[in-house]
Amino acid sequence: MSNKIGTKNIWKSIKEFENDPKILEEKLHEFKSGVTDDFDPENMSTFSRRKFLAVLAASTAYVSTACTNYRDKGEIVPYVKRPEEILPGKPTYYASTFSEDALSYGILVKTREGRPIKIEGNPDDPINKGKIPSRVHASILNLYDPDRLQFPIKTKAKTSWQKVNEEIINLLNEANSTNKEISIFTNPITSPTSQKVLNEFKTKFPSTKIYITQLVNNNNRITSWKNSFTQNIIPSIKWDKAKVIVALESDFLGKEGNTVENRIKYSDGRDIVNTKELNKLYSIEGAMSLTGMNADVRFRLNPVLQFEFLQSLTNELVKIGAINSSEIAENIISTISNLTLEKFATKTGLNLNKLKSLAQDLKNNKSNSIIYAGDVLSSEVHFLVNLLNELLGSQNLYDFENGFILNSDLTTSDEIKKFVVNSKSGNIGAIISFDANPIYELPEAFGLKEIFGNSKTTICISESPNETVELSQYILPSHNFLEAWGDHQTRNGHLTLQQPVISPLFDTKQKEEILLSWMGIENPNYHEFLMNELKNNIYAFSNSAADFNTYWFTALHDGVLKVAKNSESYKKLDQSFYKESKSKTERITILLQNNYTIGTGKYANNGWLQELPHPVTKVTWDNFAALSPATAEKLNVTYDDVVEINQNGKKVKLPAFIQPGMADDTVVVELGYGRKFSGDVANDVGFNVNGLLSEKNLSNYIFSGAVISKTGEIYELASTQEHHSLNDEFVKDFHKIRNIIQEGTLEEYKNNPEFLKEHKHEIFSITQSHEYKNEKWAMSIDLNKCLGCSECISSCNVENNVPVVGKDQVSRGREMHWIRIDRYYSGTPEEPIISTQPILCQHCDNAPCENVCPVNATNHSPDGLNQMAYNRCVGTRYCANNCPYKVRRYNFYNFRDNFADAHYENELSYLVNNPEVTVRSRGVIEKCSFCIQNIMLARENAIRENRSLNPNEVKTACQTACPSNAIEFGDANNKESFVNKFREHELGYYVLEELNIKPNVTYIAKIRNSHSEDV
Amino acid sequence: MSSIDFTRELSVVEGKPPLRVIDEIISKPLDSKPDKKFYIALSITLTMLGIGVVGLGLTFFYGIGLWGNNNPVGWGFDIVNFVFWIGIGHAGTLISAILFLFRQKWRTGIARFAEGMTIFAVMTAAIFPLFHTGRPWVAAVYLLPYPNQHSLWVNFTSPLLWDVFAVSTYFAVSFVFWYIGLIPDFATLRDRTTNGIKKIIYSLTSLGWRHSNRHWQNYELTYLILAGFATPLVLSVHTIVSFDFAVSILPGWHTTIFPPYFVAGAVFSGFAMVQNVLIFIRKIFNYEHIITLDTLERMNKIILLTGMMVGYAYSMEFFIAWYSGVQPEFFAFMNRAFGDYYWAYWIMFSCNVFIPQLFWFKKIRRSIPFMFVIAVLVNVGMWFERFVITVTSLSKDYLPSSWAYYKPTITDASLLIGSFGLFFTLVLLFTKSLPVVSISEVKAVVDGSQPSHGDH
Repeated sequence: MSNKIGTKNIWKSIKEFENDPKILEEKLHEFKSGVTDDFDPENMSTFSRRKFLAVLAASTAYVSTACTNYRDKGEIVPYVKRPEEILPGKPTYYASTFSEDALSYGILVKTREGRPIKIEGNPDDPINKGKIPSRVHASILNLYDPDRLQFPIKTKAKTSWQKVNEEIINLLNEANSTNKEISIFTNPITSPTSQKVLNEFKTKFPSTKIYITQLVNNNNRITSWKNSFTQNIIPSIKWDKAKVIVALESDFLGKEGNTVENRIKYSDGRDIVNTKELNKLYSIEGAMSLTGMNADVRFRLNPVLQFEFLQSLTNELVKIGAINSSEIAENIISTISNLTLEKFATKTGLNLNKLKSLAQDLKNNKSNSIIYAGDVLSSEVHFLVNLLNELLGSQNLYDFENGFILNSDLTTSDEIKKFVVNSKSGNIGAIISFDANPIYELPEAFGLKEIFGNSKTTICISESPNETVELSQYILPSHNFLEAWGDHQTRNGHLTLQQPVISPLFDTKQKEEILLSWMGIENPNYHEFLMNELKNNIYAFSNSAADFNTYWFTALHDGVLKVAKNSESYKKLDQSFYKESKSKTERITILLQNNYTIGTGKYANNGWLQELPHPVTKVTWDNFAALSPATAEKLNVTYDDVVEINQNGKKVKLPAFIQPGMADDTVVVELGYGRKFSGDVANDVGFNVNGLLSEKNLSNYIFSGAVISKTGEIYELASTQEHHSLNDEFVKDFHKIRNIIQEGTLEEYKNNPEFLKEHKHEIFSITQSHEYKNEKWAMSIDLNKCLGCSECISSCNVENNVPVVGKDQVSRGREMHWIRIDRYYSGTPEEPIISTQPILCQHCDNAPCENVCPVNATNHSPDGLNQMAYNRCVGTRYCANNCPYKVRRYNFYNFRDNFADAHYENELSYLVNNPEVTVRSRGVIEKCSFCIQNIMLARENAIRENRSLNPNEVKTACQTACPSNAIEFGDANNKESFVNKFREHELGYYVLEELNIKPNVTYIAKIRNSHSEDV
Repeated sequence: MSSIDFTRELSVVEGKPPLRVIDEIISKPLDSKPDKKFYIALSITLTMLGIGVVGLGLTFFYGIGLWGNNNPVGWGFDIVNFVFWIGIGHAGTLISAILFLFRQKWRTGIARFAEGMTIFAVMTAAIFPLFHTGRPWVAAVYLLPYPNQHSLWVNFTSPLLWDVFAVSTYFAVSFVFWYIGLIPDFATLRDRTTNGIKKIIYSLTSLGWRHSNRHWQNYELTYLILAGFATPLVLSVHTIVSFDFAVSILPGWHTTIFPPYFVAGAVFSGFAMVQNVLIFIRKIFNYEHIITLDTLERMNKIILLTGMMVGYAYSMEFFIAWYSGVQPEFFAFMNRAFGDYYWAYWIMFSCNVFIPQLFWFKKIRRSIPFMFVIAVLVNVGMWFERFVITVTSLSKDYLPSSWAYYKPTITDASLLIGSFGLFFTLVLLFTKSLPVVSISEVKAVVDGSQPSHGDH
């Protein structure tokens, strides 16, 4: 055979010309196998090409690996021996407890390779049912806070535990022998075992005196209950059973008491999709709180007038026959007889009709209604509230079974005054601050600063630096709660356990162990101490068939332990405790409140919490003086003007914020800010207004007679949402005009369940829509249940490694939150109606961001997710511009860098990152991924177990965090999914539906339980 | 009765200068050493450029955070400057290509310069799309459709990608067009120069041009074909730049009128810029008889015309926004005129629509100081037009919750200054290194150089 070109024969060799069969055979296989010879360097000639290459490759490999000292790099190496429970790549959960301010929350700590990365609620917690407040979510950052105290310090110099302990023991013995007081300052103790340690300490050193303080406390409530019932249990409220709730200056949904429990129960009464019924929330308040924001009917009232309001209400209730006057004591009747709702309405300008309908509602819903007074109100108000509840038969709604246990009484101001006198006369042997911060938390007027500053025997046990640490001689670092053991009992009938989930990062100690070692116990082990306590006090009475070890490990695993219930029941009020409270409005009333995010200042060094927007004002990184629009106008003050509050000579300066809906002549300021010596993040964020607190009554938060003056200075507040003037006709009610917020009243809805759909047009598309054959992920958010509490944001931040950007960047509109709660006002600035709406990436089917990305960095997954490929993103920001929901976030800087008031770039803080989520670099866009890591995990599990995915199996971080269960997530293609039910519900709508971009987050329209004319 | 002969064309070059004089005048700046004034001018523009380089360097090092851009307003000065400079570049090709095809002889005096400015403007503009990205070091690669083993391609549906193609094509064609036009002039310079180095450079760049008849024939044909090529580009580049906005769904951007409106605006600003610079050039280099007042007046007429087209577009946008009945759309326009950025809108409207109306008066049309000021204002107005479109639409879009005010920073300002610095540095260098008026073409339009049809 030969090649033929035209008619010519072409040949390359004689053999070919002669048609040698071997050549013919070879020609059939152009690329013959076995062309490569066996590789054998030995047999190669000295300078063969292949040998040369082999030697070159070997030497390169040798040089590049053998000559580098990889041993010293601290790189990741696999376990030589795998620890029990830990499987690389798999999260392990441990049950534990978070406790703060006499409350405790059962938690599950998610750890990866021994590193805690996320805190979830423990679903076995009988009270909180797997939900936790935002503070707990974000508290994981405190574990990795580089500002933590890392070793014992004596007079500003590093020292060893042995040395300080020796010195302190001498000091304590001396104090004890000279009968000088050993003062221990602590916050309320929720742990029985801790309490036991303190008690033993007191036995060992009899001159010990324990001071229990709490910056924002509910002592007024406790006092009123104690006066009435002489019990050690305060009932919790069955909000879920209440038909009518009247909140008096109470933010039970926002920042008062166990908000998580309150939200869970309250939102049960807001389940319109399933029950078609709603509870009715009245709020009468001077501040604009989260509760007021959610109220069906809201009155604004100067807080000092609450008592008079209650008296007038009692009068009205008697008048309309809701309560029987014969059940009320003579003296009470006589004080209220002159006070009518009519008079009260004329005096305060409140809407009389609405007030009357409140009374009527209370009458109609007898024994299903509850009046609830706020912590800040006086004990007289609380007493009258309790009386009214009794007369209305509301004790049905008191839950003693799961009531709050009163562990220990708070110290009164008299006792602290005595301490001050004693210390001035040299009668104090040692001052121990036991994980507390008395200098910051107690009113400045006591002069604790001087006492601590002058004393040579101040000992401070603390996890982080603070004002008290700064002035203490001995500074003893304690464990973070994730490194420590503990038990907590705050509720009747159960106890939650706390276990360490990581070995201590620094040279710190369990705080109880420190006390134990001073009591002369060598190398105390609190773990064993705790076990013994449990064994003797609980296991012994538990009738458990298991041995103690099994019992202990089961308890640790569950995190919750049932203990004997204190059986208490309702006893009738002793009406002789009734005391009239003089309510006089004078000049300006100041109302000091707890804040929503950083607790009593304890979490001020947590960037995530500082940057969490205030649920009402959306201000971050600051506190402020909130004023009503009319008061602001009267004082000639506008946003960001610094005002001076002068309350009987006590002065503070802070910026003003105009808050629609507030009572006139009232100023509301949140406590917990203005920290000093508390770490890079916390220092000088906001303003310390603790100076306004009274040294006469530690539970007084309302002061009238203050003077407010404009200073002329300007201080810029950073909020995540611009404040538009409510009266501006130009932009008024846009959220309603644009159908972003769709609402109705219960009446409207009952008359016509389809009322929302009436004005809807059929939207058609000229292109064919994409088909989703398997799963199609979607979310639904029930705006009836959503309270706008912002806990979803906190959880999302932790889950998705969302960076903290700092105040400066927030004020430039560059916050990075993947989910935000939009807040809209309608109505008048005086009586606004507030709507909130969580907005996150809507994962549109026809996502407008996708087609404009020049590099395909954002695209659509087959299961309906709008995904981001961070590595591909070049950062043109076109997607963000084209997103109508503006949920895309741009990394304007490397936000993990060292910016003064934001996050740190250090080895420690990196440990908080979720390894399943990419840490985004500078210059890329990021956004909500519907927690794709959780979807992938669920899918992995389904594949391993050879089953199909359960449509409700995947949970997003915002969903698990939502205390009111407003968020559902799942497969919209599956009829079984919850989300599908919401998508098809008559109240379901999509935001900006008319753009035909087919978003996948369904909102259930909010139905208000108010009369149509009110809305 | 004073009679005007309307059948006679006005002379494009005044005074019938001999051809040798034309050679000399035009190449004089190239023969002489730069004077003090040139260095003063150059030091000013280089300082401006330096400011821009510092701003860009800092941005490169720290990130876009140095700019005023925020969450709703993803694009600020960066894109405003980009569109502005691309717009400036429009006069060049229009003058050299479209006016060439329409046999507008008055273009000869200004074509070369306008083309040069096109190229410099596009170069200036091209900085912004690259450096406005968060990661320019990857953007430079990822934005190109190169084959790779991931079989990962650019997104052909994205207007930003169309931009990449449109601008690079425009630049390439403009450059070639410009260079072809320069070849006969290079040859003339080569023949004139006595400097050895210049001789080598001009010999290389003139590509062996010998002024032969055959060369001229090929040249004319090539020029005509390139003019044909360039003509659609004049329309397409700014059309595609307008797609950056029009393809989006943002109220105020999503508008079908954008392509013609942008092209008109680009020609408008381009002519204003060319007119501004030429006023200096003709004065400094004594080209008053080559770049005549008649030519400037004609340019002013085009400015008047395009200004009215732009004004029509502004009004029509408003009308359609109202007529559509789409609330966010109408609000976007109301917000432009009466919202936070109302000042920008009214600067734009006055500079672009009201002030050019003065060109109806012949006296003003022919008054150098007046026309200069008006053209400067036109460019101020056109810069603000892009600002208004980009920033106001973004700052208040669909959800009132995400609205925010955009405030530029010092870095933003430095980039704007730097862009002017770069542009004028290039213009200055151009005047001393290449003939700013086409020698060969001017020769062809001098009175008497053409076959005469009258006056036998």
